[in-house]
Amino acid sequence: MTYQDKVRADVHPAALMYAEEEKSGRLSRREFLTRATALGLAAPMAYGLIGVPTPARAQEDKPMGGTLRMEMETRALKDPRVADWSQIANVYRGWLEYLVQYERDGSLTPMLLESWEANEDATQFTLNVRQGVTWNNGDPFTAEDVVYNITRWCDGTVEGNSMAGRMAALVDPDTNQLREGAIETVDDHTIVLNLSAPDIAIIVNTADYPAALVHPSYSGGDPSENPVGTGPYIPEEVEIGVRVTLVKNPDHQWWGTEVFGGPYLDRIEYIDYGTDPAAVVSAVESGEIDITYQSVGDFIEIFNALGWTESEVVTASTITVRFNQANAPYDNVDVRRALQMAVSNDIVLELGYNDRGVVAENHHVCPIHPEYADIGPAEYDPEAALELLTSAGHAETEFELISIDDAWQATSCDAVAAQLRDAGVNITRTVLPGSTFWNDWLTYPFSATEWNMRPLGVQIMNLAYKSGVAWNETAYSNPDFDAALAEAGSIADADARREVMARMEEMLRADGVVIQPYWRSLYRHYRAEVMGAEMHPTFEHHHYKWAIQA
Amino acid sequence: MLRFIAGRILTMLLTALCLTFVVFFLTNLGPNLEKVAKSEIGVRISDAEVESWLARNGYAQPVLVRYGEWLGVLPGWTGEAADGTPTGRCVAQDQSLEEADRFCGILQGDWGYSTVFRAPVSEIIARSLALTGKLMFWVMAVMVPGALLLGVLAGMREGSRLDRSLSTFAITTTATPEYVSGVVFIAVFASTAVGLRWFNGSATSAMEDITFVNFTLPVMTIALYGMGYIARMTRASMAEVMTAQYIRTARLKGVRFRDIVLRHALRNALIAPFTVIMLQFPWLLNGVVIVETLFNYKGFGWTLVQAAGNNDIELLLGVSVVSVFVVLVTQLISDIGYVYLNPRIRIS
Amino acid sequence: MDALTWTGSLGTVLNPLLWVSVALLLLAVAGQVLASLLPAPQMRPRPDGTLVATTGLRGLADTAGRFALLALLAVLLAYIVAGALMPYGSAGIVGAVARRFAPVWISLALVFALSIHFRRRLGLFGRLFDSTIGMIGFGLVLFWVFTALYFTAFGWIATHDPLSQLSGMKNVLPGEPVAMAPEGAWPHYLLGGDNLARDVFSRMVAGSAIVVLIAPLATLFAFMVGITLGLPAAYFGGRLDQILSFLANLVLAFPVILLFYLLVTPEIVQTGIPSFMAMVLFVFPILFLAVLLDSRYRTDRRKRWPILAVTLAVTGWLYLSLVSQPGTPVNFLHPDVDLFNIPGGILIVFVSVVFVNSPTVFRIGRGLALDLATRDYVAAAQTRGERPWYIMLWEMLPNARGPLIVDFCLRIGYTTILLGTLGFFGLGLPPESPDWGTTINDGRRFLSIYPHAAIVPALALLSLVLGLNLLADGLREESLKD
Repeated sequence: MTYQDKVRADVHPAALMYAEEEKSGRLSRREFLTRATALGLAAPMAYGLIGVPTPARAQEDKPMGGTLRMEMETRALKDPRVADWSQIANVYRGWLEYLVQYERDGSLTPMLLESWEANEDATQFTLNVRQGVTWNNGDPFTAEDVVYNITRWCDGTVEGNSMAGRMAALVDPDTNQLREGAIETVDDHTIVLNLSAPDIAIIVNTADYPAALVHPSYSGGDPSENPVGTGPYIPEEVEIGVRVTLVKNPDHQWWGTEVFGGPYLDRIEYIDYGTDPAAVVSAVESGEIDITYQSVGDFIEIFNALGWTESEVVTASTITVRFNQANAPYDNVDVRRALQMAVSNDIVLELGYNDRGVVAENHHVCPIHPEYADIGPAEYDPEAALELLTSAGHAETEFELISIDDAWQATSCDAVAAQLRDAGVNITRTVLPGSTFWNDWLTYPFSATEWNMRPLGVQIMNLAYKSGVAWNETAYSNPDFDAALAEAGSIADADARREVMARMEEMLRADGVVIQPYWRSLYRHYRAEVMGAEMHPTFEHHHYKWAIQA
Repeated sequence: MLRFIAGRILTMLLTALCLTFVVFFLTNLGPNLEKVAKSEIGVRISDAEVESWLARNGYAQPVLVRYGEWLGVLPGWTGEAADGTPTGRCVAQDQSLEEADRFCGILQGDWGYSTVFRAPVSEIIARSLALTGKLMFWVMAVMVPGALLLGVLAGMREGSRLDRSLSTFAITTTATPEYVSGVVFIAVFASTAVGLRWFNGSATSAMEDITFVNFTLPVMTIALYGMGYIARMTRASMAEVMTAQYIRTARLKGVRFRDIVLRHALRNALIAPFTVIMLQFPWLLNGVVIVETLFNYKGFGWTLVQAAGNNDIELLLGVSVVSVFVVLVTQLISDIGYVYLNPRIRIS
Repeated sequence: MDALTWTGSLGTVLNPLLWVSVALLLLAVAGQVLASLLPAPQMRPRPDGTLVATTGLRGLADTAGRFALLALLAVLLAYIVAGALMPYGSAGIVGAVARRFAPVWISLALVFALSIHFRRRLGLFGRLFDSTIGMIGFGLVLFWVFTALYFTAFGWIATHDPLSQLSGMKNVLPGEPVAMAPEGAWPHYLLGGDNLARDVFSRMVAGSAIVVLIAPLATLFAFMVGITLGLPAAYFGGRLDQILSFLANLVLAFPVILLFYLLVTPEIVQTGIPSFMAMVLFVFPILFLAVLLDSRYRTDRRKRWPILAVTLAVTGWLYLSLVSQPGTPVNFLHPDVDLFNIPGGILIVFVSVVFVNSPTVFRIGRGLALDLATRDYVAAAQTRGERPWYIMLWEMLPNARGPLIVDFCLRIGYTTILLGTLGFFGLGLPPESPDWGTTINDGRRFLSIYPHAAIVPALALLSLVLGLNLLADGLREESLKD
């Protein structure tokens, strides 16, 4: 038995199928990695399956010690499961950790889990909890703690608990609590999850930012007040809106030091410069920070010009200029189609995001998603658009496009509005401050929303376009679409999945659901001395990887 | 004099009362309260839930009653949370009704709690006032001597070339609002594009440690705009004094010009600028807001913008109390100082 | 189409001249300042009994300064004239811009020529032309007034639509040719493109229209409110004065920026408070006009009622059209009767600015009236049995016009700055608005690399406010000579 065969013997059959698909070019490498590691394969093994050597994890020697100052909005901290901003999670990531971690290359790294396996139809997952982990108050970390946290996540009665939706296969829809029998504790370090329906995304979902594991003594509210966690840092200073400081916890032996090395930094400072990137430019020019949280639009070039190192990651992050179909005149599909047709996505990308991304096709499935089916570019025909609008009786109607006052989002909406105006549509723009904007973001008739990347295409469809789900801002409700979505959620080979997805994409486009101009790449810039802090597709900060040269 | 001051203080209190009520009223209008409710318990709640949340948290009472509670002249509201624990304006977590105070308003020193910064309002205001205090100190240290010098030099020989040049300069600075000069300063002195990079275009690091490099631009930006106005007032006052009889007499007597300016004219010429400088304080607040936003210096002006932008009611009220107080106190000082410095004015 | 240079072929001749004259001027000014610090020139008697003043350094600097200034003006004039006359493109950006402004130059020249010729018959306005400062200020203000006028009325001067975005023109430098120009479009972005590929030059011109329209109008309204309340407060005194003064001080004690934040947020607008404030504030101009005319024609029975009726009807209709806005709580007029609607934020901004300015005007008006009330002609009118309003409006107000006009000019400048502040904080005006405050705020984000998008409107705003200040200074100087 060769090594290769031995490997194959314990590998999930679906992962082998994915490997074949990847080799024959039907599955992107990135998608393969996400899918295969989600089924319980360690990343090196996943790479082995497709015959690619594991990319060398930064082997460079990272120096110990030092302080890293990063620009980031410091928002009020919340119970992790109701956290609604990556920035909030990035603070408590210092001392709270996750079961698994989503990496830059699309693979999953086991963190507080040592490994996991799925059964053949992805309805049962066995989780092996990592041994030898302790909380920083001295308690040992066991399967009990994992069960406690999953129970917390499944509590759908808590307002704003977005984890409940992600754990839908474990939730009892009647009580909105953890379903009886959904979790079995086998021993101190093993548990089994019994899903009500196949869900390949459940492990990926535990890498999402609200899924940090808290200690059973945690009672809700600001987690920094009593920072019990398994991670290597503790908060020192939390001044919301001003700065947050994390320092290496001297009294805690972090389990990861043996596994990954690190943590290297003594101190991490998050300094708040508000939402205006211009303030960050000033901070960079003044030498007040070492690294940006995110560089957007035109500022990417500015930071490059300042001689900072650029770190780019291609993602499925996007902006959707969407119609709420519950509001007139957007309940008329011709109006929506007409407005869609009047906008050239290329130009929005150029003017709104400086061509730093890929043109999208108005259906919110990204070429880097495994299920992506190419159904051609979005239609652009301003003259036909005006005709359609006129025949729908809305040639004179005044449309209002609402956006947040964030630099690149407002700019993109301005570009959309300008094109509509050129096409002869009567349009006005309204820009709302962030505090006001988010209060009603689901119900504006015509507005723009920023969507972060989800590793799988079906994840985003489930979050935003399924009838009646919490974040369905378009009020889109199409039974055919819902049926197709359910079909796409179970495991099938790539061609079959793509076929279903092609149908869904066509439906989204034919119904004129969103103008989705582009997929944006994410960027971050830092001083040459900073190490290991590359941009992450979902904005995660893996503090233990960070280092700085003196 | 005493009667005058007492009267002024009484008016001042009345003004402060009216203004805080206006702020209270505007921040407590229906849509604003709805925003508060939504930001506290989530954006996807129904109107009925908003209503019940507002009722449970004491927002359903008439505005005047709540204003009284905020002031501390009416007892704070009490109620019960959904799970039966007692709640109330003055009831802290895990506190029973008996333990809690009956009154907890601004008169009792309770400024409330900021929803944006998650900290007591008094703490935030103290912190930001300290930062702005530093900024104002340096602004005054640059602006007042600079403006007086400009004004005196220009006013001592009215109509001379020096006067023309300085006056034009003063007019130009008053015509350059902070957002223009700040932008130009950053572009010229701090940006990589021009390449001088003498100073910092961000004053965030000055919150901990003020240096020449990180504080010059914000100070200059505010000082320059205010300087022109004070300088022109000083010039006018100086020019008037220089034509006064006693100066003419001194000149005819052959006193040296320098001595005339320094010994005789200056003292009288500075009465008017003094009031102007005092009245300049409320104006400076405007500049402080712009400059602190532009340079990301988290002082009082920045706090005001944050509080107003996020409808942080109690913080906004605290901020307005302080700013109204500053305005009124400087007006009072200006009035008293004017009377004190100018013996010709008598108060009946 | 090639990119334009700043001065084109014109520059080879004029640029060196320009630098030389600027250097000379700076030297001369420095010399003058130094000379002023030295002791005054001594008069020395000559043996024949006449006096001679040593000119020395001071005289030299004076003469040099005058000539340097003249030379500089001549060079600048040459840029404009040559630029406007030479074929398009050969005189560079300066030439092309000068040419676009041709209608403004012609109007300016006409106004100045006429005014200087007839200045002896024009009262205070005519005397303005005796003061260099005042003339420069008047020129600057008039420049922007004509620009705004021609842009609004005929669409002249601007080269592109201020809102349209052309692909490929994002952040381009001044003088860049328009890529893939549509048929008939102007071939260049004269002062570059902004972050959204809009023409900076056209936006500046369009912005002037907003500023030049709103600022004086808002100031005028503030004056009407302030004076309608200030004069009676001073004249009648007593309880009325106390209450009004208290209210004025109340508004004055309010930090302006806080007031704006409270008034202009979407939530407050939703409640309709700004609309109700508009209803109250805009009554005052009507009141002012009505009282003004009524007190005049009170004794003339035949004219009194017709005049009053016509005035009230016209202004009343205007008032109702202005106040009633669809989409706000105050919306009662049928669209057919509603003459005009002011776009969204502008009305709110307008109201806020009027509200903030009125108390200051009130204080000034009251102060002036207190002073004038002691004059003999007021006493004379009182003994004549004139009604109080007649005395206030037809006896006192005309005599207070000097200081009021000066303050009016200053206040327009202040209002312009205030509007810019609002734009800077993104309050009120629509986000795409080309007004200068908003464009400065948009442009400042990219200051490090593309300074033109912020600097152009900043200089425009600076020049207008400077012009107003200089004009006020000139007017004050001349009116003091009375």
